[in-house]
Amino acid sequence: MFTRGTLIYVSQRLVLIVFTVLAVSSIVFLGIHRLPGDALFSEHLHGDAYQNLLHHYGLDQPLQTQYWNYVVGVVTRGDLGESLVNRGLKITPIVTRELGVSVTVGLFALVFTVGLGMVLGVFAAVRQNTWVDYLLTTTSVIGYSMPNFVIASLLILVFGIWLQNLTQGAFFYQLGTWTGGIDQLWLPAFALGFPYASIVARLTRASMLEVIRQDYIRTARAKGLRETVIMVRHALRNALIPVITILGPLVMGIITGGVVIENIFGIPGLGKEFAQSILNRDYAIVIGVFTMYAALVGLANLIVDLTYVVIDPRIRY
Amino acid sequence: MATATTTAQVSEAEILPEQQTLWSDAWRRLKRNRLALVATIYLVFLIVVALVALVYTPYRMSAVGIAPTYAPPSAAHWFGADSIGRDVLSRLMVGAQVSLIVGVGTQLLVIAVGVPIGLLAGYYRGWLDSVLTFIINVFYGIPDLLVAMIMVFLLGPSLTNIIVAIVVTRWMDMARLMRGQTMSLREREFIEAARASGAKPARILFGHIFPNALGPIIVQATFGVPAAILFEAFLSFLGVGVQPPTPSWGSMASDGISALEYAPHIVLVPSIALSLTLLAFNFLGDGLRDALDPRQKR
Repeated sequence: MFTRGTLIYVSQRLVLIVFTVLAVSSIVFLGIHRLPGDALFSEHLHGDAYQNLLHHYGLDQPLQTQYWNYVVGVVTRGDLGESLVNRGLKITPIVTRELGVSVTVGLFALVFTVGLGMVLGVFAAVRQNTWVDYLLTTTSVIGYSMPNFVIASLLILVFGIWLQNLTQGAFFYQLGTWTGGIDQLWLPAFALGFPYASIVARLTRASMLEVIRQDYIRTARAKGLRETVIMVRHALRNALIPVITILGPLVMGIITGGVVIENIFGIPGLGKEFAQSILNRDYAIVIGVFTMYAALVGLANLIVDLTYVVIDPRIRY
Repeated sequence: MATATTTAQVSEAEILPEQQTLWSDAWRRLKRNRLALVATIYLVFLIVVALVALVYTPYRMSAVGIAPTYAPPSAAHWFGADSIGRDVLSRLMVGAQVSLIVGVGTQLLVIAVGVPIGLLAGYYRGWLDSVLTFIINVFYGIPDLLVAMIMVFLLGPSLTNIIVAIVVTRWMDMARLMRGQTMSLREREFIEAARASGAKPARILFGHIFPNALGPIIVQATFGVPAAILFEAFLSFLGVGVQPPTPSWGSMASDGISALEYAPHIVLVPSIALSLTLLAFNFLGDGLRDALDPRQKR
């Protein structure tokens, strides 16, 4: 499965990710510093206070020096600087913690998406052209056409307001308990994953329909295997290969969709910070969060590519 | 003997199908698809609403306090009022304009960008194809929403910049489709004939290959419209989209989230409008795909 070639491939990709992250943060750094305006100036600052503040953030130096110091700080110390709005707040620890939250939510949504999508897809395929199939196919088109914030609002309305069983806006990230707050996670995960679960269901249904007409399935039936075993062990495994090709876009969609979902449910993750810092014009955090996102996307794509190797033995790197 | 008579009886008109263009043929097939037809009617209605909103809305869309704040739907205000007493129906109508402009505008630009790139990559192949495919893959690797947010942040939030940001992060599907189409079309006899008769590459690309790929391009663009509308709604929902007082369905829903408990209509009305529109475009896309390319599997 994993050979020496894989190792070389992974290390190449990792080097590439480092360079991408550096390039991305540089582009955002330079882009933001070209913007007009001043994040620090205020009429409450007297005398030398403004100059001192500028000096503290290194903003009194020429742009190339600032850029050099920034890159050196990121590379050697992993230091993303200080918040401009909440002065003195170091960005790296905040952003690292938020990355953890976002990854937790994202992973949960991913498992949920693929799981639900596959189950629905298999059901629709096995019961092809019955009302179950029609119901599931229609639901999946509707699911795909509903923006995740619409699904999220509906969920909050139903579970949070009408049924009163959602701790609204109170998301506790507890690493201590093994559930990690899953009871609060399942609504965000549903809202985040449902549109993609619809796509997974459609794809699974289509490829299942193709697979269950093949000879080896008939052979399995002739051997007298139980239907469940045939479907899960024989059919689903091969039906999954077309489905995994959308794993890449799926992961990307969950990462970007998370920005919206985190803002609705008040989850203190990277996405909430990203939108907040953009609205607050806290340039230092915008750069920091975006750098983290670049790293996250790069690593997520690498992991997705490696899963292809695990699922489909014909793929090798 | 019997066979001969039968053959003679079949008139020529029955053997030769009536001469039909691709488009009238596609229209005939599209009409048979109920869902696509309903979707088309809804979309025509939406366009009419957006056009009417240019000259007439029940109330001024930015007029504050013309109804009690958070007023539920009533006869005077069909869809109620929002947090500062603006008429939701009027804002919804103007929001339809924004959505349609973004949806159609981005797809026109996506065609303008993606089609030439796909044509060049598919026709010349070789190193040019490698370079262009690499660029396409790099763009597929970037998180679209995040990059669009940063772009709008750096360029400033305006409708034009939003459209540009969506095109920058979403042109690849069209380019990839066009590349595939070009690769298969360039091997066909009529292209060879054109080349043999001395047609210049530009003429072959835009005069022969492009018109023959128009069906898939239209289908792709139809699916691209809801994606772009959704994208704009996301941006506006997060506060980096269309700026107030111009309403967008996304920002309207976002404004209402905090009052979901007392005035759910503020969120529900634009959300339903948005979902219906996306659904309609997706159904229309499905219908067009079946109509323009009946051989293709679903």
